[in-house]
Amino acid sequence: MNAELQYEISRFYYQEAYLLDSRKFEEWLELLTDDIRYRMPMRITRENKDGSNILEDMSYFEESKKSLTTRVKRLRTTSAWAEDPAPRTRHLVTNIVIEDGSTEDSLVVRSSFLFLRSRAGDSEMEQLCGERLDVLRKVNNQWKIAARKIIPDQAVLGVMNLSMFL
Amino acid sequence: MKVKSRFDRTFDRELLQEIKEKLDQGLLPQWLQTDPDIYELEVKHIFSRTWQFLGHESELKQPGDYVTRWMVNDPVLLVKTNSGEIKAFLNSCTHRGTHLCTADFGNKKTFTCPFHGWSFNLDGKLIGIVAGNKVYGEAMDKEEWSLRPIPRVEVYEGLIFGNLDPQAMPLQEYLGGLKWYWDIFLKRSDGGMEVRGMPQRWIVNTNWKCTLENFGGDPYHVPSVHKSTVEMGISPSDPLYSSYGHQVVLEHGHCVNVNVASPGAKQTPYQGLPEEMWPMFERNLTKEQLEIFYKTTVIVGSCFPNLSFHCPIHGSEGHLHNYLTLRVWRPLGPEKIEIWSWFLIDKAAPEELKENAYKGYISSFGPSGTLEMDDTEIWARVVQASKGTMARDRHLSYNNLYNYMMGMGKVEPDTSWPGPGTAYPTCYVDFAFRGIHKYWLELLSQGVE
Repeated sequence: MNAELQYEISRFYYQEAYLLDSRKFEEWLELLTDDIRYRMPMRITRENKDGSNILEDMSYFEESKKSLTTRVKRLRTTSAWAEDPAPRTRHLVTNIVIEDGSTEDSLVVRSSFLFLRSRAGDSEMEQLCGERLDVLRKVNNQWKIAARKIIPDQAVLGVMNLSMFL
Repeated sequence: MKVKSRFDRTFDRELLQEIKEKLDQGLLPQWLQTDPDIYELEVKHIFSRTWQFLGHESELKQPGDYVTRWMVNDPVLLVKTNSGEIKAFLNSCTHRGTHLCTADFGNKKTFTCPFHGWSFNLDGKLIGIVAGNKVYGEAMDKEEWSLRPIPRVEVYEGLIFGNLDPQAMPLQEYLGGLKWYWDIFLKRSDGGMEVRGMPQRWIVNTNWKCTLENFGGDPYHVPSVHKSTVEMGISPSDPLYSSYGHQVVLEHGHCVNVNVASPGAKQTPYQGLPEEMWPMFERNLTKEQLEIFYKTTVIVGSCFPNLSFHCPIHGSEGHLHNYLTLRVWRPLGPEKIEIWSWFLIDKAAPEELKENAYKGYISSFGPSGTLEMDDTEIWARVVQASKGTMARDRHLSYNNLYNYMMGMGKVEPDTSWPGPGTAYPTCYVDFAFRGIHKYWLELLSQGVE
């Protein structure tokens, strides 16, 4: 594996996490290609013999660049109560593995995430963890996310809502 | 000396009478929201006697298909038998009570308990005991150790319900007039509605009554909680916009709101469903239902105790679509619920519409929905501020009363309304809330000496 590329991609994800946790959502949108497919299928509980425990048929997010932009714009209104007062969030991204780097301008990257959220005076943090499977594409010499599949580890989400981006 | 705190006031007939008197005045004591004693009574006297939603027939297609569900704390195994019948069992082995099947869904011929290997067929019969005759001998009658059935299981238009009370009134009688309104979406298309995927599930720190009310009779919250959509230009700026239409109070605590477009606004006949589907509606619904359906923008309501339904026009990316979402508010305690949210669409709808409506649902409702995410925030805030000494004082010495007075003495029923129930000619009234709590109190009273 190309160590330099690994470093470059890790930096990309740390920067993305910084933008989200700093509520620089418009700058985050800049990291996405115009044709991005941003999805979050459901995790379900199945017996091992029944195969996959990821349900593609129903999801938590089924987004395009346009709908993600709408979500960001909504957060900028004066009455997006789930995010106002703004919760404090922390996106921790780890286990970054470049799965397929066979072309120069496109990569398949797998990573793990831990999302923590602190709301108002609650001392208990809400948390969500899981896996992300991304397709990164080079546009004008910059990496952008062309596809993201977020797979939560919980079949029953322990968070009140998904007002965040993952 | 024994000091009695304000919390110690005994929950008895006298207290019930006081609650009733307050309700008659349009007031609801705030202490009822998350009181732990009340919660225990609710589990015992409401959730053990009323009909609870378990699932939709379209989730169980083939013999052997199963889904696992909950009736508050009772795990339920819902299966389709070889004869095509739907049966529900307590999802607990009859030998030592082990949670028998922990998967969400699947297909099986037998359910084998991992503890000692007892196995049961789709009819719940015990068919296999490890070392059976050698350890239990001939005297053990397997027939006596079948899975314990949920005492009552009945289906209405694809909706499967269970009841823990063998003496409960039939489901159809319990639903009463609510059926007429449900038929508008359950029966409008040939083949009815079908579930896509599995229900989404997530946890919200609120009380089940709060969510039941929210869907049951609270269009008044829409312009404030969902003000962001007004700011975005998606919803109208008229603060009365979700008041237009009728709020209907039905028997057994059920209620429904039938919204129409604001006066002068553009009509979207039959909730914007494509014209090719209209002949179906005209064939399947009565003249009165059709008249109402033609003008309707949203049908939203609750089926007591913990099922809500919402059939709106909502959407994403500038396109508005109609769909149905069913909700179970499963209590996990006085301050916590697990939400189960099903997405349904007409089986006979064009594939493109099914896909668009699904995307519309994801973007507007469910845990990431731009509308629902703000609801969850507010529901949690209600409970957050209703747990303290002032809120929970049973003597009401802090005037801790919710205001349920909207419409009282001001709005009269619309006697020309063609549907069942008592219909009020606006949805900004609290009649539905009072209906919910009247029945709630009636059931609770039966469990109090």
